[in-house]
Parts: sequence; structure tokens; C-alpha cells
Amino acid sequence: MGDSTRPLESDGVFVTSQWVGAAVPRREDARTVQGQARYVDDIDMDTAHVAFVRSPHAHARITAIDTRDAEASPGVLAVMTGRDVAAATNPVAPRGITASVTQYVMAVDKVRYAGEPVVAVVAGTQYLAEDAAARVHVDYEPLPPVVEIEEALAEGAPLVFEEAGTNVLLHDAFEHGDVAGAFRGADLVVKETFRMPRFSSTPLEPWAIIAQWDPGTGAFVVWSNDQQPGRTAINVSRTLRVPIDKVRYIIPDSGGGFGIKLAVWPYIVILCLLARRAGKAVRWIQTRSEHLLAGTHTPEALIEAELALARDGRFLAIRVNSKENDGSFVHTAGIYPLIKFAVIVGCYGIRATAFEFSTVVTNKAPTVQNRGVGKPGMTFVLERLVDLAARALDLDPAEIRRRNFVRPEQMPYTTPTGEVYESGDYPECLRRALELAGYDEWCRKRDALREEGRYLGVGIAAGIEPGTSNLGYYYISRGRPDFLGSVEGAMVGADFDGGITVVTGSVDAGQGHATTVAQVVADMLAIRPEQVSMSTHFDSATSPFAPHSGTYANRFNDVELGAVVAATRKLRAKMLRIAAFVLGVHERSLALRAGTIHVEGDPTKAVSFQEIAAYAYKKALLLPEEIEPGLREIAYYQNRAAKVPRREEFNIQLTHANAVHVVVAEVDVATGFVTLPKYVIVHDWGRQLNPGIVKGMVIGSTVHGIGAALYEEFLYSPDGQLLTGTFMDYLKPVALTVPRFDLGEMESPCPTSPLGTKAVGEGGAITSLPAIANAVEDALRPFGVTVTSLPITPEKTLRAIRGARVI
Amino acid sequence: MRIRVRLNGRTVEHDVEPRLLLVHFIRQVARLTGTHVGCDTGNCGACTVLVEGKAVKSCLMLAVQADGKDIVTIEGLANGGGLHPVQRAFIEKFGVQCGYCTPGMIMSACALLASIPSPSEFEVREALEGNLCMCTGYEQIVDAILHASTLDRGHGGPRRAPQAPHGRLGHGPGDPGRASGTTEAGHGR
Ligand code: FES
Ligand code: FES
Repeated sequence: MGDSTRPLESDGVFVTSQWVGAAVPRREDARTVQGQARYVDDIDMDTAHVAFVRSPHAHARITAIDTRDAEASPGVLAVMTGRDVAAATNPVAPRGITASVTQYVMAVDKVRYAGEPVVAVVAGTQYLAEDAAARVHVDYEPLPPVVEIEEALAEGAPLVFEEAGTNVLLHDAFEHGDVAGAFRGADLVVKETFRMPRFSSTPLEPWAIIAQWDPGTGAFVVWSNDQQPGRTAINVSRTLRVPIDKVRYIIPDSGGGFGIKLAVWPYIVILCLLARRAGKAVRWIQTRSEHLLAGTHTPEALIEAELALARDGRFLAIRVNSKENDGSFVHTAGIYPLIKFAVIVGCYGIRATAFEFSTVVTNKAPTVQNRGVGKPGMTFVLERLVDLAARALDLDPAEIRRRNFVRPEQMPYTTPTGEVYESGDYPECLRRALELAGYDEWCRKRDALREEGRYLGVGIAAGIEPGTSNLGYYYISRGRPDFLGSVEGAMVGADFDGGITVVTGSVDAGQGHATTVAQVVADMLAIRPEQVSMSTHFDSATSPFAPHSGTYANRFNDVELGAVVAATRKLRAKMLRIAAFVLGVHERSLALRAGTIHVEGDPTKAVSFQEIAAYAYKKALLLPEEIEPGLREIAYYQNRAAKVPRREEFNIQLTHANAVHVVVAEVDVATGFVTLPKYVIVHDWGRQLNPGIVKGMVIGSTVHGIGAALYEEFLYSPDGQLLTGTFMDYLKPVALTVPRFDLGEMESPCPTSPLGTKAVGEGGAITSLPAIANAVEDALRPFGVTVTSLPITPEKTLRAIRGARVI
Repeated sequence: MRIRVRLNGRTVEHDVEPRLLLVHFIRQVARLTGTHVGCDTGNCGACTVLVEGKAVKSCLMLAVQADGKDIVTIEGLANGGGLHPVQRAFIEKFGVQCGYCTPGMIMSACALLASIPSPSEFEVREALEGNLCMCTGYEQIVDAILHASTLDRGHGGPRRAPQAPHGRLGHGPGDPGRASGTTEAGHGR
């Protein structure tokens, strides 16, 4: 009720402690459960519809395009080819890569993957647009495709971008600490080559865009489910050759993001051109088939890694050589390799690291930063090496981890690459997870059941889940930082009636931001969350967004809430000044309570938010000159821990949660199917703001990992055709195939995030991969099977059991 | 072709192309956009509605096949102002993240609870086999449905299929959203 009356400390964030930390039901949900949420395609607006003609070939030259039949098709308003698009746009700007290449948002003269858009058709209805698209005739001269990493690297391989002269668009190597010395002095080196699959967290709502053009002003309005409006504004205006203010972005409800909606912007460019050409608002709702075929995926990776150890199991150094198949989109190519090295030493005190990477382009679909971005793969590799080492030294997998963990007394701990782990107790996290799982008991059970011909295994993995990217990192190889750090904005204001309104720079794709923001603001102003209004929809015309703005890299809990807290502080300070003036007392003697500001110790001497708002707006004339009218405050916030990245020290991310997963897997050796009878997670989430939301994030993210570990893979034929292009063959976890989770509690507040929070959105997807792999390998120990790749499909498992020995 | 359906208790008549999918009829003709499309192969269940009381994927049915049928969509559950127990349970148990799967999940849950009023966890998970959720990992959805089955108990049983003669929303006593009978009227019985 906001009835705790507490004097304000000068630097205190909260004045009540009623809402932050409580499982407040999500305010977003009442609309959603009644079918009243508004996703892009729900917008009731008269629009024409767009259909794309996509390349049937993975690699081909376009020799002719005949659009006459399509143009004459019923209801058609416009047809644009890749050349038309290129004539009106700038090429796509690369970020990470060093090679110089030219690519437009639609295929021009050459197609680089099956599914690449070649022609766009606008017609009155979706059905008519598709009819017309079928009447576009395109002649292709097929070129030899390069599909897999090894092919792309082979001598004389066909080139995806001829002008680069190579299929490796970025290559670099880094060394921190005395790696050679550590390997020379090692008692044991474990070495393995691992493969990470191409997969995706596949948001349930595919990409969706409506674009409208106003001929009078030359301005566009775009409704889309983009998850990163800051960068999109920059990319679209640069590509479309219009100033930023000429495109207004509205992001209504969004059906999940997971990074996959970071690459919507090229289609926004196309839709804007089509709206201008057609003279009518246009709508494109990506089909699931288009989504799986053409955009976008996690790149698959081939990772050679070796870990040097002392006899007692201490890790001395790690060396990694990673090659990623970034497909064919130059904007995101080269983003994955560096970020994965944020977690190269995982939870361990490894003091020497070396890594080398190659960004390889092929005739596969574009890639984008999917949940965890490279860190699931890096953690898979590291935690697999740890288990291989434990086996070689005949140590318990829990014990070898215990011996190597960064110790709580070492916090804050700086890794050799400059990543700063702010807080945490990794040994305790492991202890709790083992206890919750009943580790020893499951190990005994495993041994007993083996006698009966049942194959159970127990897997442990420890992982770091970083949050808030320091965006300079992926420019390191180019040497020209464009973005740096991570900035976010917020506006917090009192309306004319004293109600509190918040506008943020980030967007919501299911995270419940408005709920959490309302909890925070309520405890800062001694009101109820219901009194805080915040739209879940983003509008660039009103949002104080920044170029970094968006929902990715677990940054909401850090920089977005930082901006909200800073703006609320400013607002509170101003309201206190007005209240002090109205009540004729000093600000220091004031306290907040239930929507009023009163003199401490005398709640009868009070002024309501409503009256304060009246003074600020309607009766501003009564205010002293030094108080500016109005009650809306904007603040921008950045995580101060960020340093300008250098090769010697590149703090890639700015907060670091950690987790331990303990999994029991059972393998049916007749069918190769894996089930997970026990799944324990202890995730150190720092301070929890809303346990109901945090729990959902941790479990949801872990299930993404289960999908990648056991089911999901975009498989291509040798000629570059996607073989798993529907949910019938690209398999997702369903309710029946996921376990019930046991979640432990662990809260080591983060000293560098404004409210002590840490990341929770990606950790499950990071730590689950090796946990499951370790469990399956343990289960198959009688068969001598080593797990070096994901997903662990029944087919691969059976082959391994029947002699291949490797999954 | 002219078709006539009962949609959330209202009669809707319209000329449709033979190839129009039921989900497009619901979304684009009747403008009920709570029913979503998440795939084009009948795998995701985002489009689930009740047709004659059975959970049906409306992307796998043509509008003309629905002629003369009784259809309930997510918009038809809370008629009268009070939320259906399954809707309430989804809120209470944090069963929603992005919400895109939610209407389909809720419709599948309603169909389940109409046939098995007190399902086991396994039965709930089995009933959701045709509904994908990419956000939640399912646990809080499963918990919501199990919770909804307890909310129903003792109040006339779970809500039945809409054409069933004694179907009730089953709001608990003291439920502020309780809507004295108007819910049923909303379904046109
Ligand atoms: S849209 Fe109907 S099952 Fe996916
Ligand atoms: S809540 Fe997003 S798909 Fe289920």
C-alpha cells in the first residue's frame, strides 16, 4: 500500500520495499489471455500485401527476370527486383568483418542462398500477392555451391563474395598469458574437435512488418517486431538514404525475439521501398517456411580445443581454434567469434588463453545473434574438455570443477582477456546443485541400473551467463570501434493528474518489462505498481531510445533499469522541490507515502502527487522562477564498468551470472532416444526483481538448450538445399519431452548493476548444452562413446553405440 | 461460397473463396485476431480454436468446412467481463511470456479440461503436444492448467464445450469478475 513512511536518504533508490522482489503478476497478461494483445499482423489497417520470390538455388547467377505476367496479375500494385532495390539503396554495412564485400538487402545479379529474396510483389491481398509471385519468371545459371565449412576453406573453392578473394571474411588470433609455457609444463593435455549445430530459438511469431509512406512529408511509419530499434534506425536510414527522423518505428507486442529478430531491418528497407512504389501501406508477414529457410540461424561451428592440466587436475591453459559458418549475410558475419571468448575460461581460474577464429561464408542462410550468441558453443567445448580431463585423471567431475573454480574471495575476478566477474560463489553454487539433485544417490542408481541393462548418466556443467554487451568488442579486429559500451534511455514523468508514466528505450518480446519497471518505480515513489503506466509498445517518436537500444544481451535488468532509476530519481527530486515549496518546508524533512509527499513525522502536512502535478503544469505560474515547469524527466544510463576494448583487454560483457546444471539422462540403447528424468538448475541471478518472471526466463532458456542439445538442426543437402525446413523435421521440444525442473536459490548481488541484478535470459541455453552432453556420455560409458557434437539425435546415438564411438 | 458459422455465439455470414483457411476467416474476415499463426504445416497450435467443442487447428481447416459449425475462439471465453479460470490461472502462474502461443494453449487446455476435469501432469503435457511454446519451457503453462483444474472443482465442473447444454464458466465464489449468467448468453445458447 505504500504505507511505510521512510525518510529519503540522499542516495537511496527505494523508499518502500513492497514490490521489488515480489512475484507480482504480469500486467501484460490480462490482454494476452483474452486474445487482446496486438502483434503486427493484428493491426487493423488497410494495407496491401507483400510476397517474395525467393531463389530456389543456393548459388546462381540471375540471367533474366521477367515480371510482366506478375505485373498483369489481378490486384498487383508494384513489383520490385533486386536491381530496383539496389538502385534506391546503399549496400549493407558490415560490422565485424575486415574483408571488403558488397551486398544489398535483396539479391542483385547473383543469389547466395536458397531462399534469398529476388523479387518482391505487392498486391491487394496476401493470396493475390502469392498468386502474382508465382508468375514471376527468373532464369538462373547455377554456380557450384559451397555449403560446409571445410568446402568453403578448400583450395580453389567457389567464392560466395568474389570481390573478397576468399570465403574467410574475418580471421584473427589472440593470446593472453603464457600459453606456450603452460602447455610445455603440463602433465596432461586433453584435445578434441567439436561441432556445434546450426539451430535457432525460432520465436513463435515470425518476422512481421507494415510500412507506410507519406508522400507529403516523404516520411515512413514502420510497424515491426524488431527487437533492436536503435541499430535498426541507423541501419535503415543509412541503407534507405533518408535521415533518421524520416522513419518512425512502432513496435507493438512481439511474439518472442531471442536475437532472431535482430535481423528484421533489411526487410524493413524493402517494405519502405515497396510502400513508396505502391503508394499504399504494405504488409509482410513472414511464413514459418520463409523463417526457417531464409532467416535467421545460429552459425554452426567447428571448434578445435585443448586444455592443459597439472597432475592434480588444475587447469593451466586453454587453446581454441574456432571456425564459424556465418552463411551469407555480411552485416552479422563476424559477430559470433569474439563474443564467445567472453566465457573462454568459464567459471575457472585459467590464467592463459589463446584463441584463433575464422568467419567463413557459405551458401547457407544468414545468421544472427541467437540466444547466448556463441557462448553456448564455447561453454559446450570447455565443459566437455573438463569432463574428458576428469576421466583421464580419474577424478569425479564435481571434484575437478571444485579444484578449479574461481574462489569467492577472488571476486571481483579479472580473467586473462579482461572480463571482470563481479561477484558469485561458484563452489557453493555447485554444492547446492549437487545436494538438490541427490548427486551421490543418482550415481549409485546409475551403477545399479547398468546391471539391468539401463543406461543412465549424470552430467554436471558450470557456466557463466554474461549480460550487457560492451558493443565495442566486435570491432576489435577492424580496429575502428563504431559502437562502444551500452547506453539505454528512459522517460519517467507525472501526468497532469499525477499518474506516473514511463517510456523506455528497450522493447518487450515477452520479458514482462512493464511489470518489472512498475515494481521498481512503485518502490521508488511509495505508490502501487498499478499507478505506474507503461506501454508495452515502443514508438520511436516518443521513446528516448539510443543507438544501442533494444532487448538483447540481457541488458534490460542493467542499463534499462539503470535509466528508469535515474529518471525516476530526477522526477522524485523535482516533486520534492515542488512539495517543499508548497508545504513551506525544507526538502530534507519530507517523506513519501501512498501517492503523497508529507512532512516527516506529520502525515497531515501533505501534498498529493496530483497537486504537485497541478503546480508543475496548470499552475506553474505559482512556482518560483528557479523551478522549471513540467514533470517529465529523461535519463540515459550506461554501465560504468565498460572499458574501451583493446586487444589486450576486451571486457566483452559487463555483468556475469553463473549457474550449475545437474542432469540425469537415460539413453534407450535400442532406439537411441534420450530422456531427462532429473534436471536441476542453480542459477545465481543476483538480486531477483520478480521471481515469477525470473523462473520463467531460466526454464524457458534451458529448454532452448535442450532443443539444441537433443533435437534441432538446420541440415543442408550437398547442393545447399535446406532439408529441415518445417517444424515436422526441424524438431522443437514439446511439453511432453521436457522435464520438470528443480530450481535452487542463489543470490549474489551484482555490485555494478544498478539494482544488483544479473542476467537470467540466456544462461539456461548456455549451461544446458554441456550438462546434457556430459550426462549422455556418462550414460554411454560402457560403450566408450565420446560426445563431440550436437544435437545428440537418436540416429547419431545408435551409430555411436554400434561402433562409431563418437556422437 | 457463402458460409454461415456461429462464432463466439454470434452468427457470421460471409462469401469466401473456397481456398480461404479458417484461421484467415477468423482473423481477416471476422477480425478476431487473438487466434495466431505460427507455422504453415499444422505443427505449432497457435491457431487452435474450438470447433463443436473440440480443439482444432484452424490453419488445417478451410473456412467452407466450418459452414454451419459452432466455433469458439479465445475472444469468446471471457464474455461477460469475468476471466475464464484457465485465463486467470495463466496469469497467476506466469504461464505467459510473449503471449503468442497463449490463446492456442488456453483453447487446448479448455478442450482438455472439458474431457478430463482433473488431469494429471502427464495428461496435461500430453494434451499440449500439438502446441509449441518457444518462451516458457512449458512448466508454468502446465502449472497454470493444473491450477485451473482446481479452480473449477466444485463449481459445476470445468467449462464444457460451448454447445454442451450445461456448459459453465465455473467462476469461483467471490470472484470479482463473476458475471451472473451473461457469459452463457454470450455463447448464444
Ligand atoms: S498455425 Fe496452425 S498449427 Fe501452426
Ligand atoms: S509465451 Fe511465447 S511462445 Fe509461448
